[in-house]
Amino acid sequence: MKPGLALLAALLAFATGVSPALAQYRIGMSAAITGPASSTYAPTYEAYKVYFKRVNDAGGINGQKVEIAYEDDRGEPQRAAANAKKLAEGSILMVNASTSATYKPFMTESEAEKIPLMFGGGVCPREAFPPASPLIFCSTSFGSKWDSRFALGFIKEQAGGKKVKIGFAAQDIPLSRIELEFAEQHAKEMGLETIPVVVVPGNTPDFTPFAQKLKDAGADWVLSWALWHVEVGVFEALQRIGWQGSYLLYGHQQTQDELTRLKAPSLHAFGGNTLFMENLPIHAEIASLVKGQTTHPAHYMAEGWVSAMVLEAALKKCGWPCPKDKLATAMAGVSVDTRGLRGGPIEWTADNHYRKSTYYKVYRWDAAKGAIAPVGGWTRLEIK
Amino acid sequence: MTQALATTVVVASLYALLAAGYVLVYRATRVLNLAQGDMMTLGGYFLFLVATAVPGAPAVSVAAAVVLSALSGFVIYRLLMRPMAGHPIFAAVLVTVTLGILLRAAIVLVYTDRIRHPLPLLGLANPPRRLPGGAVVSTLDVLTVGVAALLFVALFAFLRLSPLGIQMRAAGEKALLAAQRGINFQLLFALSWALAGFAGALAGSLYASNVRLDPSLGVLGLKAFAVALVGGLDSLGGVIPGALIVAAVEVLSVRYGDPLLADVSPFLCLLAMLLVRPWGLFGTKEELERV
Amino acid sequence: MSLAGGYFKTTYDGDMALVDTKLRRVMLVVLIIALLALPRFASPFALDLVAQVALAAVGALALNILTGFAGQVSLGHAGFIAAGAFTTAVLVEHRLPSPLLALPAAALVGAALGVIVGIPALRLKGLYLALGTLALHHVVLYACGEFQNHWGANTGVSIPPPRLGAWMLKGTTAWYYALTAVAALVLALSVNLQRSRTGRAWMAIRDREIAAESVGIDVARYKVLAFVWSSAITAVAGALFAYQRAFVSVEAFGFFLAIEYIAMIIIGGLGSSLGAVLGAAFVTLLPHGIDAAFARLSVQGGAEYYLFPLKFGAFGLLMAVFLVFEPQGLVGIWRRVRNWFTLWPLRYRPLRPAS
Repeated sequence: MKPGLALLAALLAFATGVSPALAQYRIGMSAAITGPASSTYAPTYEAYKVYFKRVNDAGGINGQKVEIAYEDDRGEPQRAAANAKKLAEGSILMVNASTSATYKPFMTESEAEKIPLMFGGGVCPREAFPPASPLIFCSTSFGSKWDSRFALGFIKEQAGGKKVKIGFAAQDIPLSRIELEFAEQHAKEMGLETIPVVVVPGNTPDFTPFAQKLKDAGADWVLSWALWHVEVGVFEALQRIGWQGSYLLYGHQQTQDELTRLKAPSLHAFGGNTLFMENLPIHAEIASLVKGQTTHPAHYMAEGWVSAMVLEAALKKCGWPCPKDKLATAMAGVSVDTRGLRGGPIEWTADNHYRKSTYYKVYRWDAAKGAIAPVGGWTRLEIK
Repeated sequence: MTQALATTVVVASLYALLAAGYVLVYRATRVLNLAQGDMMTLGGYFLFLVATAVPGAPAVSVAAAVVLSALSGFVIYRLLMRPMAGHPIFAAVLVTVTLGILLRAAIVLVYTDRIRHPLPLLGLANPPRRLPGGAVVSTLDVLTVGVAALLFVALFAFLRLSPLGIQMRAAGEKALLAAQRGINFQLLFALSWALAGFAGALAGSLYASNVRLDPSLGVLGLKAFAVALVGGLDSLGGVIPGALIVAAVEVLSVRYGDPLLADVSPFLCLLAMLLVRPWGLFGTKEELERV
Repeated sequence: MSLAGGYFKTTYDGDMALVDTKLRRVMLVVLIIALLALPRFASPFALDLVAQVALAAVGALALNILTGFAGQVSLGHAGFIAAGAFTTAVLVEHRLPSPLLALPAAALVGAALGVIVGIPALRLKGLYLALGTLALHHVVLYACGEFQNHWGANTGVSIPPPRLGAWMLKGTTAWYYALTAVAALVLALSVNLQRSRTGRAWMAIRDREIAAESVGIDVARYKVLAFVWSSAITAVAGALFAYQRAFVSVEAFGFFLAIEYIAMIIIGGLGSSLGAVLGAAFVTLLPHGIDAAFARLSVQGGAEYYLFPLKFGAFGLLMAVFLVFEPQGLVGIWRRVRNWFTLWPLRYRPLRPAS
């Protein structure tokens, strides 16, 4: 009995060892590659792979290759905690492209090991906004509070002076709840009539009861800010029960496909990324580069591509050698031209790790044209 | 209020379709098929598979999905459940849990976790329908209720009137005596699994078309087994009141209570039932002692 | 290796000893030395794996007490682990992070939960008991989820490394020693319980409840006792889990975790302490084995998408294979192999003489 255990222990002693450290930029990335949230975050992981393969093939940055270790966290905090510990070893930067539930362990690890942490797929946490924590950076197109400020401004503008009642559909994750509670407060301050926030469990099979609550309360507009399947689930349920109002949600990677599938003129998607249907030169470039290399289509890659561009700029600025503290300082002065993928450049300062100005655009399905069309142009908000 | 009633009936119909699968398998083989939810998901994915291959032909797609699921049920019984014949019941139940895991892993391997929508591929639309009384439901909601009702009527007729159905009830009650009477109970057990697959495919196709299709739909199966237990694990008739009760509790707790309770409320019903009347509303009492 | 013949005890102490033969004593010493010296040879990754196996073994041994010894089928194991982990989380949130407080508190919470579950469970048997425990697991998780949402620091609670006075438990090696020691203690506890009066009562209840009752065993008391022992140990495992992961979040304790533990004791061999440990090792190491196999085969692009469902599916497949073909589990295999070697060239064990 006991020898068996001893044998087992001895066998484990010959487990895989650690690969030797090479002269490279060592980055660690944890993303929701599989799991329910993967449609939103896996494209970031794929964009990174394609982008940095191209960078490495062209000779790397400052003559050094970029080595990125990828870990799958399935959007679960417990796995993310394990990944954070694993990735922190030897990395000069950690990237998180996953749900907000995975943020905490990463921030704790970043703090403990003094490694800069960049959020490249999920919502930007409070620590990236001024006054920013020295180690937290965010390239993602959406961020708390500013999204709501823009959204409510848009709704008010669309209402055109008429009295409208706004409902809010949140997911039962803290960030979504807090954001929409803030939105409700802000709407009241703006003089709009509001309905209390309706919170929806993420894995509910039937959104009808929640949609019913919103319809019964007489919502003319509903604002939703959560994972895509919840945002769109509530909208589809509202449509099924014959609601006639307008819906505004944050547009994640699936926006283009879903707007085309639903063909609903009352559904408005706002976001920071330009949709690929606008066919800018950068879109064609990305499409040709990712061809055959990714499981998600090219028009899912915008978020990840911008994040990769920002990382490349940061590493270039850092130079070589680039220890983690030097990288953190270098990142605090990065300025990246997004070449049309966003409404404007991403500029970080010592105090502001989100960006100096953020840009939003709204899209919806235009039944007359039979295609997706933007509603107006870019709206710029200055981040103070 | 009428909307709450309408939603309850729709949710109950879906649960009833799933619970029918549980009851059919349990009645015949005394095994609780905890993979019923995943068999429902499999049915939904069969629909998606056929709809992708042959778009715009809903009748073909649904028929193919249902037939494929029934066949899967048959194969599952033959490969996985029949070897468990002499083993304790709990081991057989655990095997169904592993079946659920295998089905889910296979689906994710082929289709990943992406959310799919078969409805546009079928070439159908799902417009809302106004009911008398002011409630509004979708077309597929109405279809779900209709299909569930039809299935139950058909099952009742089958089990009570047709020779094969009577044999199935006999084999379920006392397999040994039935075998001595010349009834091929192995075939009947396989048939019960095939029927469970059939019911699961109906539920899966309807849900996938109405809401969405993704690999994690199996959790609905866990809620539905609470329904089966509340109604009585070996009572097909008990499924209907059981489904209505559990669906009502769920819808009401969302409307008037904490929305997060929606996930737990079927299990609270289950617990209450287990403590008060473990054999369910219409189950046979002796089932309690069987292990 | 207790064969008939040439194996006599001359004192009561000798008869009751846990490690009775000289060979066993020697092997035990060798094992202890090997475990103590392991950090010198093994990589941090391997040490972490052993630590994880040790922690899983604690949970598996606890479940074995309930399901293997006492025959009370429980699908709610993950709920007890969550209870222990969240007890630690609650204490950390109230600025009482000391393990000297958290571990006993977790044990108490676990025991209390065992009573709460055990008393109603007296009414249920077999399948219904399993389903009842499953339902209770969901209720416990709901409570933990509510805590995490409303009072806990939002998306999970960070647990600081445990301190005992000035000394902080940090680092792979330290955790390896700590968890292996705990696992050894629980293993000793489990083996002793099995040999004790309580253990015999449990096994009697498991095998023939009516006969046990007719012999005078207080079935109700022993059943509740099984729940209490099992859930107390499990809750302590949960607390250790919280400290080791340094993070607690409710979604880690879903139904699949309970299935993993059931798989551990079934694959290992139901009713055997050794089986629980072997099963824990098997289930914990399987995903890493698949990872290593994949790395060795160096499958190109897209492998990350397949890894998770493959690991998941492999787990299900192996569990099914063991359930169908090898109900006695790894212990059964081990015993067959051992018997083949020790009995060769004979095939069958002689009957033990009445002692």
